[in-house]
Amino acid sequence: MRLFEITRRTLLATTAAATLVLGSGAAMAQTPPGVLIVGQIAEPKALDPAAVTAVNDFRILMNVYDGLVSYKDGTLEVEPALATDWSISEDGTEYTFNLREGVSFHDGSDFNADSVVFNFERMLNEDHAYHNTGPFPLSFFFSAVQKVEKLDAHTVKFSLNAPYAPFLSNLAYPTGLIVSPDAVQQHGVDFGRNPSGTGAFKFAEWRSNEAVVVEKNADYWGGAPELDAVVFRPITDASTRTAEMLAGGIDLMVEVPPVALSEFQGNTFTVHEQAGPHVWFLILNTKEGPFADKRVRQAANYAINKEAIVNDVLEGTAEVAAGPTPPAFAWAYNDDLTPYPYSPEKAKELLAEAGAEGAELTFYVTEGGSGMLDPITMGTAIQADLNAVGFKVNIETYEWNTFLGKVNPGLEGKADMAEMAWMTNDPDTLPFLALRTEAWPDKGGFNSGYYSNPKVDDLLETARASTDQSERAKLYQEMQTIVQEDAPWVFVANWKQNAVASDRVEGFSLQPSFFLLLDDVKKN
Amino acid sequence: MTGYILKRIVSAIPVLLGISIIVFLIMAMIPGDPATAILGSYATPENVAKLNSDLGLDKPLVQRYFIWLGNMLQGDFGRSFSLNREVLEEVQDRFGATLVLAGTAFVLCSLLGVAAGVVSASRQYGLADKLITFVVLLGISIPSFFIGMMMILIFAVNLRWFPVSGMWPIYGARDFSALISHLTLPALALTVVATGVIARLSRSAMLEVLRQDFIRTARAKGVSEHGVIWRHALRAAMVSIIPILGIQAGFVLSGAVYIEIVFQWPGIGRMLVDAILKRDILLVQGGVVFVAACYVLFNIAVDVAQSLLDPRIKA
Repeated sequence: MRLFEITRRTLLATTAAATLVLGSGAAMAQTPPGVLIVGQIAEPKALDPAAVTAVNDFRILMNVYDGLVSYKDGTLEVEPALATDWSISEDGTEYTFNLREGVSFHDGSDFNADSVVFNFERMLNEDHAYHNTGPFPLSFFFSAVQKVEKLDAHTVKFSLNAPYAPFLSNLAYPTGLIVSPDAVQQHGVDFGRNPSGTGAFKFAEWRSNEAVVVEKNADYWGGAPELDAVVFRPITDASTRTAEMLAGGIDLMVEVPPVALSEFQGNTFTVHEQAGPHVWFLILNTKEGPFADKRVRQAANYAINKEAIVNDVLEGTAEVAAGPTPPAFAWAYNDDLTPYPYSPEKAKELLAEAGAEGAELTFYVTEGGSGMLDPITMGTAIQADLNAVGFKVNIETYEWNTFLGKVNPGLEGKADMAEMAWMTNDPDTLPFLALRTEAWPDKGGFNSGYYSNPKVDDLLETARASTDQSERAKLYQEMQTIVQEDAPWVFVANWKQNAVASDRVEGFSLQPSFFLLLDDVKKN
Repeated sequence: MTGYILKRIVSAIPVLLGISIIVFLIMAMIPGDPATAILGSYATPENVAKLNSDLGLDKPLVQRYFIWLGNMLQGDFGRSFSLNREVLEEVQDRFGATLVLAGTAFVLCSLLGVAAGVVSASRQYGLADKLITFVVLLGISIPSFFIGMMMILIFAVNLRWFPVSGMWPIYGARDFSALISHLTLPALALTVVATGVIARLSRSAMLEVLRQDFIRTARAKGVSEHGVIWRHALRAAMVSIIPILGIQAGFVLSGAVYIEIVFQWPGIGRMLVDAILKRDILLVQGGVVFVAACYVLFNIAVDVAQSLLDPRIKA
């Protein structure tokens, strides 16, 4: 009998311990007013804008730094930021910027022409004393820059090796954000953990794997922000992030999984959605196999039920894509395009015409990856639709990095189609890198399906060299019509970025750039 | 005894060297390199080659291994490119967090498991035994991450007794009670599964001992049942229970990976998963070697403890 006394005693002790623990836990603190807690999807790599590539890191950086220019609220068009105005030479190769005066970095040093020169030299010049604070994986955004010169204390001139229309919008991209030269000199390779910029918030603390904290920059040149501080918490697991949001542990959550959206109905939460410069598509191998025939490529576009994919698989978190350019590039988008309708009959007709019934296809599917949404389920749905019109689709699934290693060198001899998604900052980027003849993989581009149309090549080259936005727009719109007709891809979806905010958050909106701008946000 | 410990430590060196070679080769062989992982959609062959050379990954494999090994022997584990931080600093931070979680779970599951096993064995086929066997089987059968998610849903989201995730509060004091309130759910989730295994094996170890002659002698001498079980039988059974605990320590450590992901515990398991996905070669290699070294040391400690407990096992 004594055994049971022991267990009873143990039970008592356990209960007592549990009560003690519950007592301390019951007073779960509410998040304080004026401090916004953001649930991020991952730990940032660094807070050095020149060194990072992930949207996750950009969300923090855009609040700590400014670029010479930035995107106008709600658009993807540039407006002045650290540069008050600029002029472009006739031939489009020289950009002269007048810099804002009286701006200082968070570390107290002055922002001026020397800072700008330092930033671009550090990134682009391999002999620069602080080039070793890299690597700078996206420095090729500025590979057209030949020289950056200081004309006077508040004027700088960029000389390009050829006219390059996306230059301004690349300056608005995080890779172009301006860091404090003093801070780089002081911290060297550790600058990424001791950042200093000119932005609305200044860096306060980085607790590894817990949080990055930024505080109000009361002297911000654009006016002090409303919030006292923002805490970015990395919560990699989407279910856990959702649970934190429901439990009140975070005030704002980005990248809500489609299946979790229904949890946030009701007055306590606001769901934000914003279409962005994202396109999800299938690369078709136009060089060999069934997809060398345009009719078969069009058949694939007709055969796939894109409505079902965006509504049922993605739960309405995306829209059907009509062509290669996302509608978020409003100024360059061709509004006359309508997506290929879902028409299995039309697809069967085209296949019969091309004599490609029963064609066997190898389809590369990835397990995940940046911007890839729900690639396995989407791939399976696509496989079913294609099989229904008479293809025989074999899926090969790969982990993201492996997948890229297979797709980027080109599909020839390996596969007929592959999933892919891109998020870009300029309507030039994706078609220039992935649709031109000069962008075939052996020439260092991403045209993994070997699409080639001299007219498209010509339009893209001309658009890149033009500095007149309305002229560029016309060229891009024509390109979209041709590419849609040629169907080198199956155009599937444009993702809408989403976020959920608690009812204590005011003044928040998502940007088409997918950046997170918090200087006008309030929290009660 | 000192000689024995030294001998064991020396014999651990080839094990660790072997592990370092295996993890190095695996990281070199898996498809997808760090440059591709960093560049993502922008990974052209040209950009990849340039970045790989910036990262020092363009040297021959053998040379890279010896550079890494040589640096490591001098205490330099290199710099993580995905976190932009010294590998050793990161690994120590993260391992500390894992130790708190896995250590708590290990102590809990050892105490609960052995106690459950002893009670089970002493009332073989009785109600307590059946009840414990049932609960234990249930615990073994449910995956720990599922238990973790259910715990979050019930105790953090609905009842709000505990925080959902993390190790420390974002605001407020980082004191012991804050740690306990963050630790409770993940530690319990991790404990459940390991407890079952320990309970099952302790039960059979106890049953075997209880059948032996010296137990009958003790009972004949009039030692109380409580004394027989807890003092005589358990001590003898510990000789076979301790190695089980040693093995379970490894199990708890690896099980912590799932729990760390579900509860966003800043531990080394989550670090390794992230590092592998990002192909952060140095961080994976450094982390694995560090964990392996700790595990080897722990096993030496277990063997030493066993030889102290049972003089028949020769030092």
